[in-house]
Amino acid sequence: MTTRYLLLFGLLIAALTGCRKEYDAPVPYTFTAATGAGRFSTPVRQAINGVYTVTDGSDVFGPQVVLKWTYIHNGADTAHHLSVYTSNVGYFDMEPQQQLGGLGVSGYWRRLQNTEIGLVQLTVNVKRNGVVSPFSGMLATGDTLVVSGAYGNDGVLPSKKLTMTYARPLNPRSFSILAHRAGGRTSDLLPASENSVEIIKMASRLGATGIEVDVRYTKDGIPILYHDNTLNLRLIQKNGLAGAIESYTYQQLTTFVRLLNGEKIPTLEEALETVVNNTDLSFVWLDTKYVRSMTQVQSIQRTYMQRAKAAGRSLQIVIGLPSDEAVSLYRDLPEKADTPVLCELDTSITRSINANIWAPRWTLGDQTAEVDVMKAEGRSVFVWTLDEPQFIQEFIDRTRFDGILSNYPCVVAYYHYIQQ
Amino acid sequence: MKYVFKFSMGLLVVGVLTASASAQKRAVADTGRTRGPYSVVLSVGGGLSYYSTHLGVPATLSNIQLSRFGVPLTIRALWVPDHRLRLGLESGWTTMYSYRGRANNTEGRVYVSAIPTLAIFQMPLAWLSGNERSIARRLSVTGGTGVYIVHSRLDYESTVQTSTISLGWMAAASYTQPIGPRFRVSGELKWYDAVASENAAFAAQLQLNYRLIRW
Repeated sequence: MTTRYLLLFGLLIAALTGCRKEYDAPVPYTFTAATGAGRFSTPVRQAINGVYTVTDGSDVFGPQVVLKWTYIHNGADTAHHLSVYTSNVGYFDMEPQQQLGGLGVSGYWRRLQNTEIGLVQLTVNVKRNGVVSPFSGMLATGDTLVVSGAYGNDGVLPSKKLTMTYARPLNPRSFSILAHRAGGRTSDLLPASENSVEIIKMASRLGATGIEVDVRYTKDGIPILYHDNTLNLRLIQKNGLAGAIESYTYQQLTTFVRLLNGEKIPTLEEALETVVNNTDLSFVWLDTKYVRSMTQVQSIQRTYMQRAKAAGRSLQIVIGLPSDEAVSLYRDLPEKADTPVLCELDTSITRSINANIWAPRWTLGDQTAEVDVMKAEGRSVFVWTLDEPQFIQEFIDRTRFDGILSNYPCVVAYYHYIQQ
Repeated sequence: MKYVFKFSMGLLVVGVLTASASAQKRAVADTGRTRGPYSVVLSVGGGLSYYSTHLGVPATLSNIQLSRFGVPLTIRALWVPDHRLRLGLESGWTTMYSYRGRANNTEGRVYVSAIPTLAIFQMPLAWLSGNERSIARRLSVTGGTGVYIVHSRLDYESTVQTSTISLGWMAAASYTQPIGPRFRVSGELKWYDAVASENAAFAAQLQLNYRLIRW
């Protein structure tokens, strides 16, 4: 009897003290939203882009990293960011920082497969005959760039030494680094929610050259971006609403629903407006998550391809066909001129609809023979959705795909740019 | 760091089952004893509930009116054997919460309710000790696990009614007072938790129990 009560008491204590930790990774840095590149002129930024060897800090960030500048347009202004991509699913997001003196940047670093995050402050120096001095913008023969400073954990002031020494330029080969759900999954605790305007603006900083977005329709027929077929707490803030997203009108969603990081669910037009006006992304994959006429999406696709062309942008917007139903919707279009599509089904269906891009799932392997044939026919070939660093490296090094769709574009960027 | 209680009901159920198994072993060892009686008891109850976890009201609304109170209904069928562990099924209905407010000069209202569909386990605090008037024999704890059908209704420009299934559990403590050969009344305090949809409510109920059959 005593044993039984002790057991019950123990279970009660376990129940009351048992817990599930809720993970979060709040960004400890506030960007100034300053525009311009400060003293980081175009030649300086180009000189900094490259593969670097890590000495101090290699235990955290690996022996080698990629540094690359990206930009985003805000109206007539441009904001520049320096990103670092690491082999261990990590990235840095930094902005020019005048207060650091010389060529300084500050921001935060993050590892996407856990909650590790922290502040970072770096300056760009040049090593000449063994002597390190601030980089003035001019590199002489034999000079080596050294980007050094400190990093910290969480909101703690950076104090751990980090030194990165320029090793070689980035791999210049053209390759599409496509970010799943417009940049990455909400569940990876990114600063912005998946399929939001805010994550589209971040995609380049995460390493992407293009994005994949999920298109659905509201009850009143407005194409929006949303991945799941229902409103649920994985993607939205708690508001009492549930059920199929197609049950709600756009006005109802705009008024009552916010994505997990507080953003509105964007319309497809808002998303493409952002891509064209604010980013340097070169590819948009509109994944078909709806079962209704494709004409409206086709019309929007054409409008924004024309706007991009008028703006002098090299932007490809394609409709993704992931299923037989989606292929049927495409076949039902009254006319298909100027409607690039990407087919995820087999090569015969891809050929039968004359899709511009073939995109098999990565688990089907390298498929070198099929890839070669499709490329010989003038099609591009992408593979999806590849997240494991080891496989990303193997696919980049040993296969002939033109691009990879991943939830971790920073990893794809790392392995692509370090390739020699 | 934020901690939430999630699995306490499951652990309590395991505890109840363990304790019951021990009691059954003892009963089996008592050779020569006649088993029974067994009975099936139907319960119907109602009372007041209070939504007891965080809720989300869109920041876009103004003039917000919020209600955490509801009037829950419980229907339960319980197999009452000759040992301590009672098994049964429970359903019913309870309001979780509702709110109303204005946006774009239009009144909006959201109402969330749930239908629990649970397998339940009940155990009186005393069994062979004390007598029929013993308070410990009349006190019991109940736990259950299953699904909640969470119903959501939005009235804003038009009406949208949707439902979603959420895994969840329930825990309760009750006192039962005999009022006749077949009837009992119970006062029950219970905790509804639809874990997946993050809805939880505390309820106080008065229940009428009717012994349907006995053998």
